[in-house]
Amino acid sequence: MSEVTAPPFVLDTSVVTAVARGDPDIIGLIQGYDARGQLLVVPALAIAGASLEVRGEEADDLLGGLELLDNLTIAPLRGTEQAARLAGIIARTGLDPWDAHAAAIADVAIYPILTLDAAKWRQPSADLDEPLHIVEISDPDEREPEE
Amino acid sequence: MIILTYDSSMSDRKSRLTITVDPDLTTYAERLVESGHAASVSAAFNEAMAEKVYRDRRRRGLWKAKGDEADPGRVARMMTHVDRQLAGE
Repeated sequence: MSEVTAPPFVLDTSVVTAVARGDPDIIGLIQGYDARGQLLVVPALAIAGASLEVRGEEADDLLGGLELLDNLTIAPLRGTEQAARLAGIIARTGLDPWDAHAAAIADVAIYPILTLDAAKWRQPSADLDEPLHIVEISDPDEREPEE
Repeated sequence: MIILTYDSSMSDRKSRLTITVDPDLTTYAERLVESGHAASVSAAFNEAMAEKVYRDRRRRGLWKAKGDEADPGRVARMMTHVDRQLAGE
C-alpha cells in the first residue's frame, strides 16, 4: 500500500445514503479507503439526512457501522458559532442542512467532498467565496458514450 | 460526574475497574437494582457493555457481508477515478 498523502475526504449525503441502502460497492470503497489509511469525515447531519431517507434497522446498523472504522470521524455540529455558520451556508447556497454541513466542514478545512452526484454541487460551490473541491465517485466504464 | 467502582465478586475472572459515570445513569442503574431488574449496579453496567459488544459485532458483521458482495474491479476503478480527480487530471 502506498502512503496516503491526500487530505481527509468529506462524504456527502449521497454517499452516506448509499451506505444506508447497503450498496456493496460504496461500502467496499469506504472499506478500501479505511484499509489504506485514508482519513474520512462524515458530517453528523449527513447521517441524519441518510437516516431520514432510508428508514430501518439494517440502515441504522450500517450507519452505526461507520463509527467502527479506524480512519473515519463523525463530525458533530457543535456550538452556536458552527450552527450560525451552517445557517449562513444554507442561506447562500440553498443546500439542505445535510449537505450544507458537508460544505461547512469542507469550506473551513479545505477538504474535498466525495459525492455520487457532482452536478448538484456545481451551483452551491459557485455561490461560496471559495469554490468547493468536488470529487465524484463513479465508474468510468459505466459512462454513456458521448456523440 | 461521580466515580463508580465496578466490582464484581461473582467470578474470579472478572476484573475491578474504576469508571466515571453520569449521575443520571448511576441513578438508573440503582433503580434497576431496587426493582430487581439487575443483580447489582456492576451487573447493570456489565450488561450494558455486553450489549454494546453484541451490537458492534453485529454491525461489523453486516459491513463485512456487504463488503464481500462488492465488485472489486468496480471499486478499484472508482478509487482510481477519485485519485485522478484529486490529482487534477
